[in-house]
Amino acid sequence: MAKKIKVLLAKLGLDVHNRGIITVAKELGDAGMEIVYIGNSLPREIVRTAIQEDVDVIGVSSLGGAHLTLGKPLIDFARQEGLTDSVVYVIGGVFPPDDTVRLKEIGFDAVFTPGATRDEIVHTIQELVENKTI
Amino acid sequence: MIDKERTTKEILTEKSSARERTPLYNPAALEILRKEFAGWMQTAVREKDRKAWLKTPRTVLGSNIPREMLYTPLSHPDFDYREDLGNSGQEPFTRGIHANMYRGREFTMRQLTGFGSPEDTNERIKFMLDHGATGLNILFDIPTIQMYDSDDPLSQGQVGMSGVCVDSVDDMALLFKDIRLDEITASIVTHYPSNTAILFPMFLALAEERGIPWEKLRGSVQNDTSLEELIRSGAEFIAPRDCFRIQCDNIEFIRKNVPQWNFITLNGYNLREFGTSGITEMAVAVANGIATLAEMVRRGYDVDSVADRLAFFWSPASDFFEEVARLRAVRRLWYKIMKRRFQAKSPRSMWMRCHVQTSGVSLVQQEPLNNVIRAAYHALSAVLGGAQSLHVDSYDEAYSVPTEEAALLSLRTQQILQEETGIIDVVDPLGGSYYIETLTSDIEKRILDEVDEIERAGGYVSAIESGQLHRKISSYFYNQQKEIEKGDIKIVAYNKYKSEAAPPPINVFRYPEGVEERQREKLARLRQSRDNERVGVALTALGDACKKGINILPYSVACARVRCTEGELFKVFKESFGLWKPPAFW
Repeated sequence: MAKKIKVLLAKLGLDVHNRGIITVAKELGDAGMEIVYIGNSLPREIVRTAIQEDVDVIGVSSLGGAHLTLGKPLIDFARQEGLTDSVVYVIGGVFPPDDTVRLKEIGFDAVFTPGATRDEIVHTIQELVENKTI
Repeated sequence: MIDKERTTKEILTEKSSARERTPLYNPAALEILRKEFAGWMQTAVREKDRKAWLKTPRTVLGSNIPREMLYTPLSHPDFDYREDLGNSGQEPFTRGIHANMYRGREFTMRQLTGFGSPEDTNERIKFMLDHGATGLNILFDIPTIQMYDSDDPLSQGQVGMSGVCVDSVDDMALLFKDIRLDEITASIVTHYPSNTAILFPMFLALAEERGIPWEKLRGSVQNDTSLEELIRSGAEFIAPRDCFRIQCDNIEFIRKNVPQWNFITLNGYNLREFGTSGITEMAVAVANGIATLAEMVRRGYDVDSVADRLAFFWSPASDFFEEVARLRAVRRLWYKIMKRRFQAKSPRSMWMRCHVQTSGVSLVQQEPLNNVIRAAYHALSAVLGGAQSLHVDSYDEAYSVPTEEAALLSLRTQQILQEETGIIDVVDPLGGSYYIETLTSDIEKRILDEVDEIERAGGYVSAIESGQLHRKISSYFYNQQKEIEKGDIKIVAYNKYKSEAAPPPINVFRYPEGVEERQREKLARLRQSRDNERVGVALTALGDACKKGINILPYSVACARVRCTEGELFKVFKESFGLWKPPAFW
């Protein structure tokens, strides 16, 4: 791939659990992607930083239950800013089974739950970026 | 902050050699065994097994300690009953802190509870008490843990999730409605020193308003710097040294004013669940314990006046015998530290008292009912290791906060252990096993080595400031993740014996709706109705105390009384201490 994929990673809201996203950040970095990790952030701030940094992917992590209450505003803001067609949205964390479907309906391109492997995450992101660019 | 000349390890090594050992095994008998063992090895053991004599169990959050195929007296030839074990309730307390252990007092069944509004959690607490739970264990929601009010912009969409929201003493009153504060023991899971200094005063103010003297209150807070500064993901941090000072302020105030309260729970649990081995879990908690006692001694307290209320909190993961051995090992190590490093006099000061919660990270979403079995084994290891109180995770916590049904099943898991299996009738039933004793000694040595690593890096607080511990932990969990993905660490139905069948439907807990709106309304009313002049005065006085370096607790109690909110106090901390940027994990 010619251009390095640039990924913005953030914890959604105040969620205290960051082991997963640290692991993913290292994995994506090892796979040659450029990582911008901004820690705990609210949807508006995430979208704003994504625009500033001109990223290809926004990846957020939520293990505290706020995946819908903060995930939806994230996609809504992105839509307002006209960012949904050019950027890939992924979310990872712990969700009740029905919510995985719901998150896709809201507009996340990929939803990763515990058990997602490094290869799965890397390949999914690569493919999604390629498809959006075309 | 630690002994300037010598590390804890050096002190322990020196003094232990002064006492003469009285090995249990007869040297002549050992010699015969040794010869026979060599013969057995050649004739009865296959070459393949001989070559792979040492095998390292690969388990989730395991310590990677190699194990022999068979343990014999030769594994631990200088085993000394008096020095290494003693009877239960006797130094060095390896076999348990009480002579009669569970015959005298059964382990407390303390199930963690908290979600939604204070009213919601109050109902669940009463449900658990009605079904035989013997202690309370209150968990706060994410904004409360992170010290933001429910109406803070940062809290949006998260109020009442993963725990119960508490903004002021009024919420504390709703949380404990119809519950006699002097008749229960309440573990108030405040996690951080900063939120302990904010939330516990609300509990104290509530007791005052109900006319209950603080002397009658029994329970515990966590109050652990590691949780606030080492493994927390958060928006704003104060520096580790300020945090550690608040930790010690909490201890000092509670010791003086709430004498039956356990003012610190040295928390290995969250550290391990974040992703460390069982060794690092204990080493960091023990290092914090040492630093804390050294600071209290520096503040002029007799070590025995503080140490007898120290408690620990551990996570038992899946390597069954390692978990049993770990509790025994750290009990012996803590005794040695108290006796030799701090010259404690009271036996109670030398007790490693602990609460244990089964490992949450070990739960998996695939075939969630399997988690019932995992948690039961974890719980069994904790009881065989001599834990004082226990929480069993619920199988559906791989998805969310437990449903009432799943929470009840966890309580039943404990009750079955206690009432049906007979394991509580004999103290330390695995004591004397060649395997358990060898492993116990090995683990004790490894914990002490890691404590030494921390002390050589300048001590507990410095090892956090510098990022040394951050890096150690992240490299452990990153490697562990790789091992799980490679299948070296096996997890049933997750990376081995995966089922192709569609997962059975699971009844997942849903948070009650409208909590955030109701909290916002409550807060708006509170900010209107309280005496805002007194609020301002109380907050200013707290800020002055922070800056002057005097104990801040009398001032945060005064804030709670006049109904300051949690976020208002945290703001004072941030302004007085300034913000700190934690080291990166990679």
